[in-house]
Amino acid sequence: MRNNLRVLRAERDWSQADLAERLGVSRQTVNALETGKYDPSLPLAFKIARVFGRTIEAIFQPDEETGRATGRA
Amino acid sequence: MDKAGRTYLAQFIGTMTAYVIVLLASVLILRSFPDPEALWRIPVALLPVVPAIALIMAFVRHLRVMDELQRRIQLEALAIGFGGTAVLTFGYGFLQGVGFPLLNWTFVFPLMIGLWGIGVAIAGRRYQVDNNEE
Repeated sequence: MRNNLRVLRAERDWSQADLAERLGVSRQTVNALETGKYDPSLPLAFKIARVFGRTIEAIFQPDEETGRATGRA
Repeated sequence: MDKAGRTYLAQFIGTMTAYVIVLLASVLILRSFPDPEALWRIPVALLPVVPAIALIMAFVRHLRVMDELQRRIQLEALAIGFGGTAVLTFGYGFLQGVGFPLLNWTFVFPLMIGLWGIGVAIAGRRYQVDNNEE
């Protein structure tokens, strides 16, 4: 999956640690999400959407090539 | 490290230290009073199990409050620890069949803990934080 978490975070001038605190996860998790190494669970995706005031689809998009989850990470 | 992580680290160090101390004390007592008939030797010999159980309970509590990525890392680490211990103990069991010396069962637990630790390092590398990023 692709996501624009880094852009959304930068727009708000939050550090990874700031976002991690708002989401109740570790900074390592925020980093893994931003770099696409880890796809969040549905509850965490909803939490992220709520924090940024967007829908999940506005933040996460499936990879174009496959059009489905890669199963990566 | 967050508060839960620090609590767990303190409990981990505490229980592991207790395990080593109780183990040494238990062995020392049993060697000092070598009476094979004495029933008190059984609970004394079993004493190191108590801090080991405390360690497992602390870990399970920590597992429940971890975030989902950390839980995934632990799952991979436990798989490495479990599989590694299985292969090594199983393999050595076969070697005993061709004359290798009998090893004490108490080696298994530290081996498992050690391989689990290596597993955390291996699994965690995939999700390493780039420290230039902030």
